[in-house]
Amino acid sequence: MSYFGEVVAGTTLPAFTVLRDQFGFVPKLFSAQILLPRLIDAEAALLSSILFRVGGLKRPQRECILLAVAAAHGNAYCFSLHYQMLRLLGLSEQRLDRIVACYEQADLAPVNKALLRFATSLVEKASSFSSEDVDEASSSQGLTDEALLDAVLTTALAVMLCTLSTGVGADPDFGHRPNRSLLAEDKGNRSPAAEKKPRFHLLAANLNSNDSKPFSWLRGQFGFVPDVFRSQTLRPDVVEAEVFAVQTVLGPEDALARVEKLRLLLASPGSDGSRTGRDDALAGFAAKLSAGTESSRTDIEELREQGFSEREILEAVVVISLSNFFDVLQSGLGAAPDFASHKIKEKKAHLCSPDLRHTDLARSADPDAESVARVQAGDLNSFEELMTRHNRRVYRTLIGILGNRDDAQDAMQDTFLKAFQHLPRFEGRSKFSTWLLSIAHNTGVQRLRERRPMESLDETSFDEETFRPRQVQAWVDDPEGLYSQTQVRLLIEGGVMKLPAKCRVVLMLRDIEQLSIEDTAAALGLSIAATKARLLRGRLMLREALAPDFAAQRSGGNAKGLVC
Amino acid sequence: MLISCSDFIAEIGNYLDGEVAEEVRVQLEDHLSHCQTCTVLVDSTRKTLKIVTDTTSFDFPDVAFKPIGEKVMAHIRETQK
Repeated sequence: MSYFGEVVAGTTLPAFTVLRDQFGFVPKLFSAQILLPRLIDAEAALLSSILFRVGGLKRPQRECILLAVAAAHGNAYCFSLHYQMLRLLGLSEQRLDRIVACYEQADLAPVNKALLRFATSLVEKASSFSSEDVDEASSSQGLTDEALLDAVLTTALAVMLCTLSTGVGADPDFGHRPNRSLLAEDKGNRSPAAEKKPRFHLLAANLNSNDSKPFSWLRGQFGFVPDVFRSQTLRPDVVEAEVFAVQTVLGPEDALARVEKLRLLLASPGSDGSRTGRDDALAGFAAKLSAGTESSRTDIEELREQGFSEREILEAVVVISLSNFFDVLQSGLGAAPDFASHKIKEKKAHLCSPDLRHTDLARSADPDAESVARVQAGDLNSFEELMTRHNRRVYRTLIGILGNRDDAQDAMQDTFLKAFQHLPRFEGRSKFSTWLLSIAHNTGVQRLRERRPMESLDETSFDEETFRPRQVQAWVDDPEGLYSQTQVRLLIEGGVMKLPAKCRVVLMLRDIEQLSIEDTAAALGLSIAATKARLLRGRLMLREALAPDFAAQRSGGNAKGLVC
Repeated sequence: MLISCSDFIAEIGNYLDGEVAEEVRVQLEDHLSHCQTCTVLVDSTRKTLKIVTDTTSFDFPDVAFKPIGEKVMAHIRETQK
């Protein structure tokens, strides 16, 4: 149930596919907005570039931030959604309850505590959040500007989702309702109020991006590029998603008028002369919803009485949520307030030129860091060392994609040459091995396209519903004992080679090379959910292929003509 | 809550990797207790995984890599000159 009705079963939108891929289902928060699908598209773009993105913070870290913010807001819908996601990601209920009750004492790595401290303090302090809060997180735990930008974006997204769910009145997706006493209980340590320094909190690439497409669109719309966008130049992908969201939400006038939406977004009531009762009603609704006070059916009823249609009210909710998103970004990034806040009328700018800060966190955790540094300093022998250390996993990645030994060996040479060529620009943001495998992956995919232009690794998604196992006879107790080691190896290799490339490469890295799911996903540029889906399909298909040889009642009773 | 075989199959990977929440695990095992097909499926998938991780499939021995590594290094040294 929601204030705006429900989605009709069987409705498919591209954005739903993305959401289903990532959450395993379409949260009601989104299906409740089916009246205006473009709004869901805009939100899905933000989610994809912030929450579902592989690289930077890990998904559980982001979900923890979302959970902590939902708890601080007392938002039962978001709380139950993120709680459930974290459980699906493998965190026990007990552990989650401890995190929510008091993350400082929970079983969390110091860096994760620092992230939660950072996010909750951003929400709580809002405009008084300062460079000092940022410095504390970066100096105590070595969080890089990239990681902190990721945290600011995730926090902004969390606030946006809270506002949205309050506004659409979505019922929680999960029966599990959190203990209310856990909500809005925030025991994080606070640093003393800080003096504001006039600069962006985080490093922003010094772009004079007059040529950047999103920037020129913004200039066309607003007459300038708002600072909130300028301060995120480290992540052009996010800026693009944000601009897409703004365009998609503000552009069409099939519900609210553009000027009404702009007023909501900028929280500017409009000049006295043009102000109407309608504007007042909207502004009042915005102030209430945006302040996070429990919105109710009555608020919506009032708008209905003012003559607002369902679509218009829904759109207002989304614009206000988007405005809250930018509001948090502004505070977190120390950008000058281009968008006035609904909540706090005065904002202090921490605006200035970017300064350089960097840490070696990722580098110190990478076993290859020293060899990489030596190669970067000109030592070629260390590159040979790196190749020897990683050639097998590069080979497995390539044969996973290409399905052919000769092609894999050829592509291996290309991969290492490319890696050497790009190594001077490798900054240690990911592990070297992950970076190398992503080069192998790109090289493999490129070769595949040259070989079979019609074949792509990722154009279709699996239809989970259609997979039905056919081989359902029980297996012998000790399947490996049936054949010699070499025979078993050949059976496995034969079975793996028959898998579709996109499952094969995931299974190769996760089960044969035994990388973690996170590393596999990062190397292949996939989301965790997509990686798991492909892995599952690969494992089940491989099982299917091997079943005739390992079943207790085998057709031939033997290794069916296997010759070693 | 009763779960279907396709619900079970969707979770089988997480189940085998020990990555399901306690509550979900209980539901899955409850399903297993009365579904012979899924019992076979989970047992044979577990065995498949064990075989796959035990064998050194798609190995790439040093002797196979040697000529490739040499070619790469020769190319690099050439371009460094």
